[in-house]
Amino acid sequence: MDDTIIAILRSGTPLIYVTLAGVIAQRAGIWHLGLEGLMIIGACATILVITATGSVAIALSVAILLCVLTSILFWFVVEKLKANQIIAGLGLTGLGLGGTTFAVEAIFGSQAAVSAPFGLPRLGPWFGSFGSLSILVLLMPLFVFGMWLLLRRTRFGLRLAATGEHPFAARSVGVRTDLIRLSALMIGGVLCAIGGAELAAGSLQIFSTNMTAGRGFMAFTAVIFGAGHPIGATFAALFFAIVGALGIRAQLLFGDRVPHDLLLGLPYIATVFGIWLSAKLRGGTRAISNFGELRDS
Amino acid sequence: MKDDAHTVLECHDVGVTYGDVVALSDVSVSFIRGRIHAVVGQNGAGKTTFARVIAGLVKPASGRVEIEGRAVPTGNVNEARRAGVELVHQSFALPPSFTVAEAMQFGATDGGVYSRKQLETRWQKHLDALDIKVSAGQRIRDLPVETQQSVEIARALVTEARLLILDEPTAVLSPEGAQKLFERVRHLKDIGVTVILILHKIREVLSVADTVTVLRGGRLVEGPIESDGIDAAKLAELIIGPATRALDEDDRAALTGAAIPVHHTQATATDAQSPVLKMNAVSTRSDPEGPPLNAIDLTIHQGEIVGVAGVEGNGQRTLVRAISALADVSSGDIQIDGKDVTTAPMKMRRLSGLRVIPFERNVEGLSLSSALWQNWSIRSLLQKSLVSAIQPTQLRRDCATALDSWDVHYDNVAQHAGSLSGGNAQKVILSREMDEGARLILAAQPTRGLDIGATAFVWDSLRRAKSRGCGILFISSDLDEIMDVCDRIVVMLSGHVAGTFEPPYDLTEIGAAMTGVGQ
Repeated sequence: MDDTIIAILRSGTPLIYVTLAGVIAQRAGIWHLGLEGLMIIGACATILVITATGSVAIALSVAILLCVLTSILFWFVVEKLKANQIIAGLGLTGLGLGGTTFAVEAIFGSQAAVSAPFGLPRLGPWFGSFGSLSILVLLMPLFVFGMWLLLRRTRFGLRLAATGEHPFAARSVGVRTDLIRLSALMIGGVLCAIGGAELAAGSLQIFSTNMTAGRGFMAFTAVIFGAGHPIGATFAALFFAIVGALGIRAQLLFGDRVPHDLLLGLPYIATVFGIWLSAKLRGGTRAISNFGELRDS
Repeated sequence: MKDDAHTVLECHDVGVTYGDVVALSDVSVSFIRGRIHAVVGQNGAGKTTFARVIAGLVKPASGRVEIEGRAVPTGNVNEARRAGVELVHQSFALPPSFTVAEAMQFGATDGGVYSRKQLETRWQKHLDALDIKVSAGQRIRDLPVETQQSVEIARALVTEARLLILDEPTAVLSPEGAQKLFERVRHLKDIGVTVILILHKIREVLSVADTVTVLRGGRLVEGPIESDGIDAAKLAELIIGPATRALDEDDRAALTGAAIPVHHTQATATDAQSPVLKMNAVSTRSDPEGPPLNAIDLTIHQGEIVGVAGVEGNGQRTLVRAISALADVSSGDIQIDGKDVTTAPMKMRRLSGLRVIPFERNVEGLSLSSALWQNWSIRSLLQKSLVSAIQPTQLRRDCATALDSWDVHYDNVAQHAGSLSGGNAQKVILSREMDEGARLILAAQPTRGLDIGATAFVWDSLRRAKSRGCGILFISSDLDEIMDVCDRIVVMLSGHVAGTFEPPYDLTEIGAAMTGVGQ
């Protein structure tokens, strides 16, 4: 049982950090399809800088800085150059995936994976069998709560929501909607960097090209599934992690009797089913267009 | 130079241009503190632009704005709010998913982390103090428009507003709601708030405002004039100016809201003829786009204009959608020109003579990025089969002929529909929808946003279609217009018909039906 929970936390934590980045962008009115790109930049930077400097603190700072800078670039393209968000987001993902592959090849030659001598600090023996998890797993609930507080219980959160839902209303009370979107994307950049760092250095200490394997898109899906609400989206991300972990269990259990590919596809099948279910419960397409629908009372 | 201590707002040579369009030019005007000032003018006179300049939402190309004797940087909402200016928009600016308390908090200037209870208690007090009967926990989208407007006013008063501007506040209200609003405005004046009301009905101006200022074509015509010193006829003349076409006395009154119009033309309908529209107890399934219809009975005869009055959002849009095959009819039946079309697709209905002038000219009526001839020829194409051949040259020629005969001002039929002015764009739709084959015309807010000349043109066109024997369903939120044009009025309230009225109309009775009083 512990094994399963550890597996869920291990795969769920990076996903949840990136999902929170998607939530804040969505609330500010941006469909953030660049999450995948930011996440892999975070993952790559963490491992490369640990290898180069031997310091986790420096590695995290560099990862965060890079992701925030890339987010500012994304904001500039979307907000100031008025580019289509979807296209710009996919472009950002392409930049992340291609850029990190290029960086690894430029530094290490044709090698597809880089391992660092050590990863993020672990929880340690104090936590028993959970000791192998990184401290970012423990901090994750704090980030979720913090995001909820920011979005749902502060004036900044209201202005951010208004920026996404009714920008004219926001401008009418003097809100600079462009700056609100910038701050949302910058906060998102920080979260993607942390998510990427946790993915590469949380339980592993290795970066391999394309290692995010669609997790950024899965996070985006969780945002929609969770109706743009921080808690809802977190549970959606957790749900994906649970399905993924059960898929691995099922492989061990059934072995060759069930096609391997079917089991690998299980999380994605569950995603489609989950989105269908959430749309059904909340009334068709409105669930997606009115993402502010799910409210805590 | 006036005494600064008494002047709340002073504009010097304010000019605004949008692209090539001059919205305001050289407007210099000053308003005295502690009074109710009306700003009037026709559509396109620059009233809303004027309000937005003062509120800092629009940056003027030239000119200065002074509030209480102090120059305020233009084009900056925060500066304007700090100086005490608040603007309530015509179509409200509150995010629909917010609760009332959140809408207040979002406009406020203080407060860190809050709990939901703190927030609601705090703003409930504010609402109670303003005598606005709404619970702070309710969502904006669940409120009727009149309450939404009150909430928006309360939102505007969360800071120490000294100058409150209301942009066409009565456009969404029933006559009774307008009276309540004016009481609230007088109360605000008593507590020391200067109010600028942007209005377009002379009756309302004379009943509530202390002074009146007239804009026409982006220029200041006159003002502020003491409203005691001017009568409706003189004011109407200032608003209309040298009219391009001679206006019938009743039309003139309806256009400026100077007097309650009396409908005097007789309907040419006879009951012997088969009706062009017959709806028997039609109900629709609820959908997110508006209240469903609830057992609507409606008959329109040949040569009859039937008006639909009601506060916006009471099912008028659903009615149009039900007749044009866009809403699911759950029970009842619809006949067009004697044929049952309850389940028929739009193509069949159009073949039966249904034509629609839709609510949103620029969204539903025209494809702004398509050429004029494409927009125009869609009617005939929709009635043909999918694989029939198209002859663009012929269509272009026919389009040019039609647009010329409808007096549309355009350069060539290949230009985009988005390059036309509102009045011309509406004429393109009229030329498409009011052809010889029309039997039943749904005219949904056909004059909204049009200037006086274009409005009169639309009315004339509808009357011509009526004399040809078309039946017309005329939906408008302007009661004066409905009473002037229509042979019969039905009032809609929450998706059902709350009353049917025949001339001579009684404004009070119709107003009561609109709000459900006396049911």
